[in-house]
Amino acid sequence: MTALVLLAEPQGGGQIQQIANTFGVDWPHLIAQIISFCIVCALLYRYAYRPVLKMLEDRRLQIAQGLADTEQIKAQLADTERQRQQVLLSADAQATKLIEEARAAADRVLQHETRKAMTAGEQILVKAHEAAVLERARMLADLKREVGQLVIQTTAGITRKILTPEDQRRMVEETVKRLSVAA
Amino acid sequence: MKPRKQVARETKQLFRLCLRNGRVDEDRVRLVVHRILESRHRGYLTMLKGLLRLLSTECERHTADIQSATPLPFDLRERVQASLTTIYGPGLAWSFAQNTVLIGGIRIKVGNDVYDSSVRFALVDLARSFGIQNEFAVGT
Repeated sequence: MTALVLLAEPQGGGQIQQIANTFGVDWPHLIAQIISFCIVCALLYRYAYRPVLKMLEDRRLQIAQGLADTEQIKAQLADTERQRQQVLLSADAQATKLIEEARAAADRVLQHETRKAMTAGEQILVKAHEAAVLERARMLADLKREVGQLVIQTTAGITRKILTPEDQRRMVEETVKRLSVAA
Repeated sequence: MKPRKQVARETKQLFRLCLRNGRVDEDRVRLVVHRILESRHRGYLTMLKGLLRLLSTECERHTADIQSATPLPFDLRERVQASLTTIYGPGLAWSFAQNTVLIGGIRIKVGNDVYDSSVRFALVDLARSFGIQNEFAVGT
């Protein structure tokens, strides 16, 4: 650079020299500053800018990963919600089915027990009726026997009193007549 | 010991010896019993028991047991005897008795035949129709 400036100076760079003088440019000083600036830039790039960029990149990747995870979690959540709804619907249907089956079974048991109770009731009624009929027949037989005994005893007693010797003779004569007829 | 069948057979033979003209002859019975007691064969007591039973049955068969509630007048007795003689033939033994249990009427029994026209018989029949099996309920 310095060589270029030195070469340009005799060819008529008087104009450039003039401008540089106008602006107070001190070429060695400027070149030194440029070099030191480049060194600072290189050092900054190496030890500050790159770690910051790397950190930013990591952060960006982390955020992207977090967003991706969030999306995945959202999808999983939605899927879980959908599965939960399906499970709920299935459980609801199954519960409804179980309730219907339980109601049907209860109806069947109720009808069966009702029939059994009706049959038992009818049997009890029939037995009670038979027992009543038997009891009535027994009572009638007892009554008949007692009345008969009373009638017979009364008849025997009265007949014993009212039969006269003529009656006795007439009865014997009737027997004799029957014997004669039989002979 | 003699077999039971043989004793029964011999008893029937002895019973036939006791008959004369189909009727029991008391003299023959006495003779047969006397001979049995004298001989004292084995089983003679059984034989005597059997003979007694056969003679009882035979006598009962030829005995008219006549029961009446009141004593029978003589004319009625004769009429009863005549009727029974017509049915069973002559030679019947007669047994007249009063039985107040009859209440009224007459009951005649010859062998296994019974002619019962008594009031008691009618009442017993009535009691059976009432389902009373105990004939003593009639009030004997």
